[in-house]
Amino acid sequence: MTFEKFLFYVFSAILVFAATMVITRRNPVHSALFLVLAFFTSSILWMLLEAEFLAIVLVLVYVGAVMVLFLFVVMMLDIDQAAMRAGFIKMLPVGLLVAGIMAVEMFLVVGPKYFGLDKYAMPAPHPADYSNTEELGNVLYTIYMYPVEIASVILLVGIIAAIGLTLRRRPDNKRIDPALQVQVKKGPDRIRVVKMPAEKKMEAK
Amino acid sequence: MEKIYLAIAFTPLIGAIIAGFAGARIGRAGAHWVTSVGVGISALLSIYVLLGFISGDRQTFNGTVYHWMVSDGITFEVGFLVDTLTALMMSVVTFVSLCVHVYTIGYMSHDEENWPGGSLAGTNSYQRFFSYISLFTFSMLMLVMSNNFLQLFFGWEAVGLVSYLLIGFWSVRESAIFANLKAFLVNRVGDFGFLLGIAAVAMYFNSISYVDVFAKAPELADTQIQICGVSLSLMSVICILLFIGAMGKSAQVPLHVWLPDSMEGPTPISALIHAATMVTAGIFMVARMSPLYELSETALSFVLIIGATTAFFTGLIGIVQNDIKRVVAYSTLSQLGYMTVALGASAYAAGIFHLMTHAFFKALLFLAAGSVIIAMHHDQDIRNMGGLKKYMPITYWTSLIGTLALIGFPGMSGFFSKDSIIEAVHHSSIPGSGYAYLMVILGVFVTALYSFRMFFLVFHGKERMDEHTRHHLQESPRVVTVPLILLAIPSVFIGAMTVGGVVFGDWFQGVIYVAPQHDVVGELAKGYHGVLGFIMHGLFGLPTFLAAAGFGTAYYIYMKNPDIADRIKGSAALLHKLLDKKYFFDELYQFLFAGGSRGLGNALWKGGDRVLIDGMVVNGSARMVGVLAAFIRHLQTGYLYHYAFAMILGLLALLALFVI
Amino acid sequence: MQFEASSLIPVLPEIFILSVACFVLVVDLFMEDRQRIISYFLTQAGLLVAVLVTLGVSQPEAQVVFDGSYVRDGMSDALKIGIYLISFVAFLYAKDYLRERDLFKGEYFVLGLFAVLGMMVMVSAYSFLTAYLGLELLSLSLYAMVAFDRDSKAGSEAAMKYFVLGAIASGMLLYGISMIYGATGSIEFEKVAAALTGTGMENKVLVFGLVFVVIGLAFKLGAVPFHMWMPDVYHGAPVTVTLFLGSAPKLAAFALAMRLLVDGLGPLHADWQGMLVVLAVLSMALGNVIAIAQTNIKRMLAYSTISHVGFILLGILAGTSEGYSASMFYTIVYAITSLGGFGIVILLSRQGFEAENLEDYKGLHERSPWFAAMMMLLMFSMAGVPPTVGFWAKLFVLDAVVSVDLVWVALVGVFFSIIGAFYYIRIVKLMYFDKPEAGELVTAGMDTRVVLSINGALMLVLGLFPAGLLALCARAIG
Repeated sequence: MTFEKFLFYVFSAILVFAATMVITRRNPVHSALFLVLAFFTSSILWMLLEAEFLAIVLVLVYVGAVMVLFLFVVMMLDIDQAAMRAGFIKMLPVGLLVAGIMAVEMFLVVGPKYFGLDKYAMPAPHPADYSNTEELGNVLYTIYMYPVEIASVILLVGIIAAIGLTLRRRPDNKRIDPALQVQVKKGPDRIRVVKMPAEKKMEAK
Repeated sequence: MEKIYLAIAFTPLIGAIIAGFAGARIGRAGAHWVTSVGVGISALLSIYVLLGFISGDRQTFNGTVYHWMVSDGITFEVGFLVDTLTALMMSVVTFVSLCVHVYTIGYMSHDEENWPGGSLAGTNSYQRFFSYISLFTFSMLMLVMSNNFLQLFFGWEAVGLVSYLLIGFWSVRESAIFANLKAFLVNRVGDFGFLLGIAAVAMYFNSISYVDVFAKAPELADTQIQICGVSLSLMSVICILLFIGAMGKSAQVPLHVWLPDSMEGPTPISALIHAATMVTAGIFMVARMSPLYELSETALSFVLIIGATTAFFTGLIGIVQNDIKRVVAYSTLSQLGYMTVALGASAYAAGIFHLMTHAFFKALLFLAAGSVIIAMHHDQDIRNMGGLKKYMPITYWTSLIGTLALIGFPGMSGFFSKDSIIEAVHHSSIPGSGYAYLMVILGVFVTALYSFRMFFLVFHGKERMDEHTRHHLQESPRVVTVPLILLAIPSVFIGAMTVGGVVFGDWFQGVIYVAPQHDVVGELAKGYHGVLGFIMHGLFGLPTFLAAAGFGTAYYIYMKNPDIADRIKGSAALLHKLLDKKYFFDELYQFLFAGGSRGLGNALWKGGDRVLIDGMVVNGSARMVGVLAAFIRHLQTGYLYHYAFAMILGLLALLALFVI
Repeated sequence: MQFEASSLIPVLPEIFILSVACFVLVVDLFMEDRQRIISYFLTQAGLLVAVLVTLGVSQPEAQVVFDGSYVRDGMSDALKIGIYLISFVAFLYAKDYLRERDLFKGEYFVLGLFAVLGMMVMVSAYSFLTAYLGLELLSLSLYAMVAFDRDSKAGSEAAMKYFVLGAIASGMLLYGISMIYGATGSIEFEKVAAALTGTGMENKVLVFGLVFVVIGLAFKLGAVPFHMWMPDVYHGAPVTVTLFLGSAPKLAAFALAMRLLVDGLGPLHADWQGMLVVLAVLSMALGNVIAIAQTNIKRMLAYSTISHVGFILLGILAGTSEGYSASMFYTIVYAITSLGGFGIVILLSRQGFEAENLEDYKGLHERSPWFAAMMMLLMFSMAGVPPTVGFWAKLFVLDAVVSVDLVWVALVGVFFSIIGAFYYIRIVKLMYFDKPEAGELVTAGMDTRVVLSINGALMLVLGLFPAGLLALCARAIG
């Protein structure tokens, strides 16, 4: 067993463990943190496949941005944990059974029998000065220009949808209108002196 | 080129749609104008096309209008085949139809009197009537212009439908409903044969286009097919099946029983549909299929014998009828028999020629009868008429022309057509032609007898109507008399004008095919030396003497010595009863078929339908589906994770089924 | 690798719709509520001009640009034009309904246009990546539209279910694509197909990937057992969104199936045929049976859609060009019919009243004989009663299946369409033979009335003259 293989098995084991913990932890914050761990380990697996750029992006985007946001949301919400767990134990045997069958079926196909080295030759290792990032950059805006454009449109739709569904103007909301703010003129608009007695006399009841 | 044909076929349809759907809005005048103008345009264009063929400028047109679908290699389409035969039919149909449209304006002007007060069906009946007759014209045109069997069948059924609607037009009358049901059911029998015939064509020819079928027919002439172990000639089977359809539509014995009853419809309809055009569809169809019929002597023989039987025996019935329209109806049956005889003798041209002349003079006779009926305030019994000559001169003279044409008075149109048929049968050597000759020659006598019996009873002799009716007797309005005059003109002249071209000339060259050994018309043509020669020859022929004898008999019995009629009735009571009951066909059919099938239906309904089908299959399965549905809908729980779980299960199942 | 500006020409329709969408988005920002109608008119005009643009760039032979990511051929042109027109009608029906419910916002049309763009991308996809991205673009827009009425709990719930299940389905689709990429080394349909013709069937990995791809498709189409989202979403969404969701995207889903299964995985036909048979039979059976138990017309039509999807799959699984064109014919006919059916639901809904329950159709004939007749035509067409066009649609797909010797599948189809006829004809019965409960008359604008009448009449017209549309489908499949 080479060192690479050893690393692969170690991190794979951690990944499976972390993924299991994500769905079994009672505390959602714990789950989120285990998800971070899962992301890290899968990023390392990509690193082993020499996909450095993807590995870095995974950490930057998912761990750095998405998961942080996620943690904020989870911490801000008051989640009824008991309700979330209801039925978990009851459903567990069925779930395990299905998961087991699925695992068997997948193993039968995605095993060495069909995916062995004799079927697919190992790709030649790249030289040390090979830049994964540069290669991606080369094709992303040339060959894959059309998909990239569509992806950008999808992001735009995501923004529109998010704003459209969440932005609402409630009349009772206290909100600031910057347009009105900047139109305020010097003088009485900006400041108003109100005379008040320093002490209010207590009125007799 | 195609546009003119489209216009001919579809202007009546447009008129029908407008009058039918917007009848209430456009009113009576709007309805009769829009339909009459539509048919008028169609008639003018048809005659233009016909003139084109006469002058030789116009070529046979065969084209697709709309490509409907292709199924199993057979193309279904709407298409027109316009040749000399079609052009002739188109002109006849549209011309008679135009006359009938105009006539109807007068005939139906007081239609509201025919409906009980406040009847919903009576609302806008006038407009509906016009819509129907225009729709009929469209259907008939589609039938004759078709270039394939499917469209032929469509037209066939569409004219049948309109005929059904119009026979029962006065739907509040019990007898009208009975008559239209009868017409419908009897035609089902014929149409079943017709449909089987078309199916056989589609099966063995693998095409339903006329051109393809006719081209391929000689190859299959000797094909034998096995039906229940009996070996039959394919051509005979196809031709006889198709002819069974023609027997229904053209009212040949024994499927003739519906036509006399169809007189329950308004008179214009009897003229247009049940005399001039629709009933001749069968004749037209057989003539169109001549390349098939020529290949089967059996079928020709069958056609000949059926036609001859119809020609003579239904004519006999006409002698004892007292309803003015029924007399004309039996005369129509008899004349259709003549046409069929001509087809059977391979004298297709003579048959079509008789179809044409008959269309004019029979429409004339019907419309004249209608005119009389209007004057008689819808009393149709000729025993109550008499002496109408002095009240209705135009009707009288036009009727006389029609009657003379019908009996074949030398020089009138009917003379040429009937004489050519009789001569053709005389020359024919097909099995059964001897019998047919006897029948048609005796038929001439009978025709003259019943025609003049009616004529004398209606227009001459004592005035037998009641005082009130007599007081109101007067000539019909001009919308009625003008069509009579218009139809009287061709009734006199069309025969002499066209006999040389249509029958003995090359008008149907390449359209109607006659095998050399059957070519009786060709034989006749050798002896044909112009119209005068034909008249001279006919003047001394047997038919003319027989017709004269018929006239004489009628004159003697009904004018000179009216008591004889009663005495004959008394002494030949059995014969009279037989004729009066129309050979007991109606009773037989009602007992055997109507009664039998109702009995069978009842038995099946009680035993099979209510217990087995309703009880077990229909309600049982419906209940089961209901229970099943109520159960399965609970799978739709509304829980997201159930849905996701269902997807996973589906995935597992598919993987297990197809991968492992 | 050289970029040529001329390769942008086939993509002009997409560029145009994208521009219209962005334009409407920006213009809408500067409008008062009462001027909102301008966004609507801009959208509709954009869709109509897009028809011209698509016709303008149309060519007899297929063009592949963007290095095998995009294809423009007869099928894409025909389906795109169908999508514009159907979306046009869907927005037209929606207008009055949205205004009455204070939902008439620019975003509705912007999202709709993006959905149209997504469908166009799917229709023209020539690699797995483009197909997937188009699907996501469409789905994302639809999720947002389903939740458009923010005050409706049912709408939000439906959108949530749709979104989560859609994500699972997308995941499966992607997983399948990755398997196929692993086995063939490409994501472009042309290269995948070429690689597949070489390998043959023994490679299990391909079939494994295929299963996941088929599931992704089945979810999008709504085939059993991946249909669970449909009744809830159809029911929960505002009826105008249901209308949109149930019409134009079906064309795109059909195109997606054609691109993925036929263009990309055509050599695996023997494998996916079996899978589609299972899905089709289950869909026809379950859809028709459960629809009978529904009392809500939106849910009923959702189940009816499921059963129609079964029929659409029949044509595809036949694997012949006749089958494909029959399927395309069926899809177009179904989209038009469903447009009309939901159009009637919208027509009968008024301020504060949704004509959702079957009882609301009682005695429609007395309230509005004309639209009762239209609804009858639509229902007959869905049931497949001649002479409406639905009959031909069913006939052609059944014919396609019979011609590849799967007679039993055709029999199952016929059997369940007989069962299905029950619930369509029940509506006809309610409309014509029952007494009306509500007396109000139909209060719709003239534009809706006219278009809806055309829509209903089209059932009969196409039923009598199916040859034109049929020829169009045959030519599109080529």
